[in-house]
Amino acid sequence: MSSEKKAIDLIMVGAGPAALAAAIYTTREDIETVLIEKAIPGGLAAVTDWVDNYPGFPKGISGLDLAENLRAQAERFGAQIEMGEVTGIKRQGKHVAVETTDGTKLARAVLIATGTDWKKIGVPGEQEFYARGVHYCATCDGAFYRDKKLVVVGGGNSAVQEALFLTRFASHIDLLVRSTFKASDVLLHELEKNKKITVHLGTTTDEIVGENGKVNKVIGTHKGKKVEFETDGVFVFVGLKPNTQFLKNSSIDLDEIGFIKTNAKLESSIPGVFVAGDVRHGATMQIASAVGEGATAALHIREYLEGTPQPSY
Amino acid sequence: MPKNITIYTTNTCAYCVMVKRFLSSKGHNYQEVNLDTDPAKQQEALALSGSLTVPVTVVTKQDDSREVVVGFNLSKLAPAIA
Repeated sequence: MSSEKKAIDLIMVGAGPAALAAAIYTTREDIETVLIEKAIPGGLAAVTDWVDNYPGFPKGISGLDLAENLRAQAERFGAQIEMGEVTGIKRQGKHVAVETTDGTKLARAVLIATGTDWKKIGVPGEQEFYARGVHYCATCDGAFYRDKKLVVVGGGNSAVQEALFLTRFASHIDLLVRSTFKASDVLLHELEKNKKITVHLGTTTDEIVGENGKVNKVIGTHKGKKVEFETDGVFVFVGLKPNTQFLKNSSIDLDEIGFIKTNAKLESSIPGVFVAGDVRHGATMQIASAVGEGATAALHIREYLEGTPQPSY
Repeated sequence: MPKNITIYTTNTCAYCVMVKRFLSSKGHNYQEVNLDTDPAKQQEALALSGSLTVPVTVVTKQDDSREVVVGFNLSKLAPAIA
């Protein structure tokens, strides 16, 4: 019996839309493809209430259904999705070593598509009331706020979309926008029509306050004056941060925020390690873009693998 | 092998789908309490988990001890159902 460790053709770190799209392409080329996901296949898209701007779905589609469709399509061609956590990546001879909580796996090429996660506001009370009044997932936790008052923080597409979703449950929502809206006009028109949401532009969120383990108000500032909003809970959607903490000890080039830099072939500074989707420097944070990048990366990976003879260890 | 598994879910919760899929893949049956169709059970879920979130998975062992797993947390769920 050989003690040689066989390298997998391609390991993908993450199983969001970018990775699943790439996997559809690579598995159809008979490239052995293993995706390692630590949270949920579909990523943030899977926990998004509704996706109206993904081409091919004229009536829109729920984020969960879109994620399930992508997963099923990738698995149909042989993609293997494993639940686990990647803790590091480094070049090891002709292979890439992918360190995971279950040990080290070797790959001939790697695609990093770990996406992004919600930023915290960083104010007092945010951590203290996490999951007990402060939330980052409306589709997960919104149902606990039937006929309750809510504050939603943020002014981008996600904040507006999720505030609209939360009106299914909440009696009233105060939407606190630090400066002005960055959300699309389509969503802003929907917002204007919704009588349950009151918009507060130019309003910062300074503190989340509660008693006996329950949130009861948010303190903010508007035009230099203190303002207060009575509430039963707070949902935060104030931007995205890259999921690249696992690369902090690697030699891969990141930008100042932590997004991964790539060349025109979506290859990182580590040869054989490609990047697609929201985690890539310059990404547009759109599902359609992530899927397109996944397909593009898959074609470059195929090219790379064709030029890389299968070595043995 | 647990005696009983109950999952508190909502219709839109993607992590709930993951927990159900994981349990099915391991051959476990479970009872589902959907908080959208049965909102009165929210307090029960909150009392069990201490959190306003789903999924909440309650694993009752053969000796009637209980383990509560909040979210899709495989590092806790996998040993709980072993």
